[in-house]
Amino acid sequence: MAPQDATKKRKAITRDSSAADEIVLSDGGGDLEAVFLEGSVSQSEDDGSRLSISHVFAFDEEESDDLDESEESEEQFGTDEVPSDPEQEKVNGTGLNGSAGSISKLAWADEDSEQPPNHIVTEDANGNPRYIYQDIDPIYASDDSEAPETTNTIGNIPLSFYDSYPHIGYDINGKKIARPAKGEALDALLDSIDIPKGWTGLTDPNTGKPLELSEQELNLLKRIQMNEVGEEGYDPYPATIEYFTSKTESMPLSAAPEPKRRFVPSKHEAKRVMKIVKAIREGRILPYKPPQEDDEEDLSVQHYDIWANEAPRPDHAMNVPAPKVPPPGYDESYHPPPEYLPDKKEKTAWEEADDDDRQKEYLPTDHSSLRKVPGYDKFTKEKFERCLDLYLAPRIRRSKLNIDPESLLPKLPSPDELRPFPTTCATIFRGHGGRVRSLAVDPSGIWLASGGDDGTIRVWELLTGRQLWHVKISSEDAINVVRWRPGTDAVILSAAVGEDLYFVIPPIISPELESRSNTLLDEGFGYASSKPRSDSTAKIPAVQWSRPTSTRLADAGVLLKTRLRSTIKVISWHRRGNYLTTVSPSGQTSSVMIHTLSKHLTQQPFRHLKGLPQSAQFHPTKPIFFVATQRTIRTYDLSKQELLKIVQPGARWISSFDVHPLGDNLIVGSYDKRLLWHDLDLSVRPYKTLRYHKKAIRQVKFHTGGLPLFADASDDGSLQIFHGRVVGDLMENATIVPVKVLKGHGVMGSLGVLDVDWHPREPWCVSAGADGTCRLWT
Amino acid sequence: MAKIKKKGTTGQAKNFITRTQAVRKLQISLPDFRRLCIYKGIYPREPRNKKKASKTSTPSTTFYYTKDIQYLLHEPILHKFRDHKALAKKIARSLGRGEVGDAARLEKTGRPRISLDHVIKERYPTFVDALRDLDDALSLLFLFANLPSTQTVPPKTIALCQRLCSEFQHYLIITHSLRKSFISIKGIYYQATIQGQDILWLVPHKFVQKVTGDVDFRIMGTFVDFYTTLLGFVNYRLYTSIGLVYPPKFNVNSDEKGGELDAFKLESSGIEAIASIEGQANGHVDSKQEAGQTNGHVGSEQEKGQEVEQSDAQRHADEIGRLIAADPNDDRDDQIMQDEAPTDIIDEFVVQGEGADVLDQPRQSDSEAGTLFAPYSFFLSRETPRQPLEFILRAFGCKRVSWDEVLGDGAFTHDEFDPSITHQVVDRPPVIQDESIQDETATEGDHMESDAVSKPARSGRMPGRTYIQPQWIWDCINQGKLLRADLYAPGATLPPHLSPWVKPTKNTYDPTVPLADQENSEEEEVEAEGLVDDDDDPAQVGLDEDMDSINDHGMDVAGAAESEDLSVDEEFGGFASDEAPDEGAAVEEDDDRTDYQRELEAEAAGLPYTIVGSAAAAASSSSKGGVAKKAARKRQEDEEELERRKIMMPKKKRKLYEKMAYSNKGKDEEARKLRGKRRRLEKV
Repeated sequence: MAPQDATKKRKAITRDSSAADEIVLSDGGGDLEAVFLEGSVSQSEDDGSRLSISHVFAFDEEESDDLDESEESEEQFGTDEVPSDPEQEKVNGTGLNGSAGSISKLAWADEDSEQPPNHIVTEDANGNPRYIYQDIDPIYASDDSEAPETTNTIGNIPLSFYDSYPHIGYDINGKKIARPAKGEALDALLDSIDIPKGWTGLTDPNTGKPLELSEQELNLLKRIQMNEVGEEGYDPYPATIEYFTSKTESMPLSAAPEPKRRFVPSKHEAKRVMKIVKAIREGRILPYKPPQEDDEEDLSVQHYDIWANEAPRPDHAMNVPAPKVPPPGYDESYHPPPEYLPDKKEKTAWEEADDDDRQKEYLPTDHSSLRKVPGYDKFTKEKFERCLDLYLAPRIRRSKLNIDPESLLPKLPSPDELRPFPTTCATIFRGHGGRVRSLAVDPSGIWLASGGDDGTIRVWELLTGRQLWHVKISSEDAINVVRWRPGTDAVILSAAVGEDLYFVIPPIISPELESRSNTLLDEGFGYASSKPRSDSTAKIPAVQWSRPTSTRLADAGVLLKTRLRSTIKVISWHRRGNYLTTVSPSGQTSSVMIHTLSKHLTQQPFRHLKGLPQSAQFHPTKPIFFVATQRTIRTYDLSKQELLKIVQPGARWISSFDVHPLGDNLIVGSYDKRLLWHDLDLSVRPYKTLRYHKKAIRQVKFHTGGLPLFADASDDGSLQIFHGRVVGDLMENATIVPVKVLKGHGVMGSLGVLDVDWHPREPWCVSAGADGTCRLWT
Repeated sequence: MAKIKKKGTTGQAKNFITRTQAVRKLQISLPDFRRLCIYKGIYPREPRNKKKASKTSTPSTTFYYTKDIQYLLHEPILHKFRDHKALAKKIARSLGRGEVGDAARLEKTGRPRISLDHVIKERYPTFVDALRDLDDALSLLFLFANLPSTQTVPPKTIALCQRLCSEFQHYLIITHSLRKSFISIKGIYYQATIQGQDILWLVPHKFVQKVTGDVDFRIMGTFVDFYTTLLGFVNYRLYTSIGLVYPPKFNVNSDEKGGELDAFKLESSGIEAIASIEGQANGHVDSKQEAGQTNGHVGSEQEKGQEVEQSDAQRHADEIGRLIAADPNDDRDDQIMQDEAPTDIIDEFVVQGEGADVLDQPRQSDSEAGTLFAPYSFFLSRETPRQPLEFILRAFGCKRVSWDEVLGDGAFTHDEFDPSITHQVVDRPPVIQDESIQDETATEGDHMESDAVSKPARSGRMPGRTYIQPQWIWDCINQGKLLRADLYAPGATLPPHLSPWVKPTKNTYDPTVPLADQENSEEEEVEAEGLVDDDDDPAQVGLDEDMDSINDHGMDVAGAAESEDLSVDEEFGGFASDEAPDEGAAVEEDDDRTDYQRELEAEAAGLPYTIVGSAAAAASSSSKGGVAKKAARKRQEDEEELERRKIMMPKKKRKLYEKMAYSNKGKDEEARKLRGKRRRLEKV
């Protein structure tokens, strides 16, 4: 192919007739040829497939014969070219050295032997050949009859004669020849037509608009016209940058000769290439193929028996499997039993409720047949929520007690086995104008004494509820406590009004009993009169025992009075009836006092007492004294004058306590609604805590007449009667059984039952209420 | 002395980690973390004590078990997520540079594939574990199989779900492991027992699912990814365990024609199982043979009957006999079964369960389930839901289910008048449609090449065929026996459809038991007296009673003395209930005293005694309320006794007791309401 090409080149050269053109062409052509031939030479091994660049020139028909001839012509161009084909001519390769290639000589002599060349070749100023053509000799016969005649017939006169006319002469037929348009007129016309820059007059097939060329495109066209490279500012001949010097140094850094490896092909590379070739042959390296659209492959997982060798894993304590969705109930059926369908009220309630408030997310509906069942529109939502629950809801193991609640209830003996105990209200004692703060049943069990906010002490007949006697002691202070003196040998009622402690003998008893009681009260006067003599010098007695000042009271039976420093809240008698203790919580050091009735003597047993005393009591049999402060109950040995024990019920604020008639057990009521049973032998902590009242417990009381009963009175208006049996055996614990809740007292101003007391022998109890009544429960 | 232990180094403080901490520790984004949690089945925990778990926690803080998170650190999926993130960056970079082709190539080729095999093995170390957790998987996949394809739910996923679900159904059909099913308003519940595990799932009714905006399909998609993988492996195991090749061949043609279950062709890996599988092919082979036969259908039916398991043929016969006694139309069945009954052949088709014997299910129920519908062939009318019916019938042993052509491909025959059909499931009103059916059948008959011997009777019904509503099938399988078909005849008012999973417990209402058996004596009595309006709250029953008795007193003047007492007592209980509800209990003790006591109570309640007394006197003559009053007194006594016992309980136990009592009360209330409704309905 290379030789063929070469001939083409040559032909191209031969084609042109104009000398100047030929020069230009031969210039370029020589250059190109040189380049291609170089290429073809260097690549001769590989079939010369590279030489596909075709230079297409249009050949005239006339020149085709030239072609054949030129092939035969023996032209010698350059010298150092490799002859590709023996019968082909050598091609000049002078373009190689960069100088403008020139054809030294062209031999045309042998071509048209019958026609001598009509030009001569000379050397022009640049030394290039110059063709000078001779004039063509016109042969008459050659004249074309159709050639245009000279049209103007004016003859040889200057045209300026016609300057003032619109025509410039006459044709052969005598017609005026119009003056052709002159430059100015054309220019004027062209100027009058405004052609925008870049106007082509073509239509853009893409847009359908007139195709206009932009400035850039115009520039590009211009450059192409100028035979330049289209790109602006492209430098086809940049200066060579010599990365490696082409000059040989006279004093090189290394005098070592160029190593051989610079000249021979790299073995290592060849090895690596061979490796790859081998891999390709063996199919280890596959030529890149774009992956196919394998959709089914995309999703299909290779399935295998994943549980082929399964080993169960022991459950971990922290593993909380998701609870399963509960199976549907009857009401979810498409055709449920009619009773599961919501009535109108339920339906509207369901529809009006917010989504979150609904108990069920669906409304039971009845469809008479399967084909009428519509789609469930919340299905996707429900499943989505289940998904959310599965991965978002915190899980916790909850042990669900699947037991019958009945089994939690303690087994209690039936109350019928524990009779007798009070069950009903037998008598109501009405008369107090205000709250009844305290009451007491007299040791004989016939009378009931009560005192209340109206400042009166009243004595009632217990069974009938008839008021036997009353006395108004104070008009401003309330009666805080009334207590009978124990023992049937005398009838003495003690009452606390404010800071005063009164001893009363109600005039309802037989005269001899009354006189006996009188002597008991008056006994102390003698002692008191004798005593101060020795002591008066030292100290004025803190407490004065005296007769009440008003004769009205004295007439009524109030015979003795003593005044303490602060309000008395609790009176408690010793079983013998000679001593009594009073507690006035606000009285600081003098809060707990022990009075000796026979001596009209008041003692202050504690110099210093921790906490606010709430109540105090004597031990029923032993010389032991109990004092309850807010939190604790202290027991003191009176004979040894020492602290025995501190009982800690654990209540916040003890309201009252009572000692079991046998003395080893204690019940404590507290304002924080608790009732505590203490076994003193067992522990200082409560044996049993009962917390059932809704309001504070005001008073607790044991039955003193031998029945295993105790009662508490609470602000919620109820009394609770307990069966509390204490066995003498130390190994056996006390049995405490609630037997009855007595309700009946009204709650006035958040106060309910304020005091409770037992009948000395019968299973009856009496309670004093804030509603101004006392009640006897039998 | 021991070293002082530092706080926050052991126990709850160490055991739990908040979500933010977990995400930071794993160095992934929150959405990725969520996906990871879904795949790995990691869920938040509720620490016993939140303050101990984290001091700065708010009520909304979620905690994870620290070891779970620690465990995630080595998760291969986590690396995949990171790869994906890197890829996303590359794609973003290409797009930023405008190299769209590059981006597309990266997206197509470089996407890391997440394989979940190891996760499944980890989460379900044994096959039974996987079965146990299949409930949610099946429910979700069946939903996705019925979803329309959208941007978020690609059709590929839907197709995969459909395929897996159908494969699973095929397994159930072959092994007869479906146990129960229930049509609810939400969809159809199915319960299958595989290897002793009860699997319950819900399939929506065939309607276009409504999708609200608050459903995030990316999350569900993640679940679906996991569940599809899981179900794929489960199916593989199930199929191989009964000697089938998994995956079964899928016939696209049949599927396009609506073949659904029929589009799958099961192949056995061994020779033994072939017979059983052949039997499952919805009687196709046989049906072709039979199509050629004209009159010998009864004979072929007999052959068929012999093919069927004969173990409890007698039982069937009895049942059928009973059935026929109820439904004299069905005489052909009778004949078949009578032919069948005396043939006491040892069946050689036990092979059916041979492969499946690996499963340790109770064999009896298995065979029962397999033979319930075995002797019959069903035809589904075109208005019935084909998919559930086909599935259930085949799972319960029916070899030949046919349906109308519009319901799709795969029926044993499309000819409604095929004489071999014994039951036809119809779900349209009978009387008016009778004409249309007749017309329709007439026209159909013209087109039909098959030479149906017996032309339908004038009513449009084939003689000797049992027509039933679809619910019959469900009720039959739930009760494990064939029920009376006349109750379910077309147009009949269906008996209520009851959920088979409700266990009757104490104090709950059971619609299957007559009302009288489950009513409280008290309620019954109240009911018997007929005094109480049902609409009233029973808490007020007592009061109403009183009012009623007051109004009624004129009617029965003659009243016993004791009833007078009682009524008086009750009267007080009614009026002074707030202040002294306890008083009524002690009536017997002392009449005078109690009277007095009552007077006091009334006074405490602020009522003048005279009014009470007169009311009592007025009510005295009524003896009607006596029983109710006795009951009320009894209740009051019980209450008192309860109070008494509660006093002795420690606070902790009492709280517990009260909680339980509260929840029980709710249940009782519910049951009572239902009983009330039923009573009213029965009265009407």
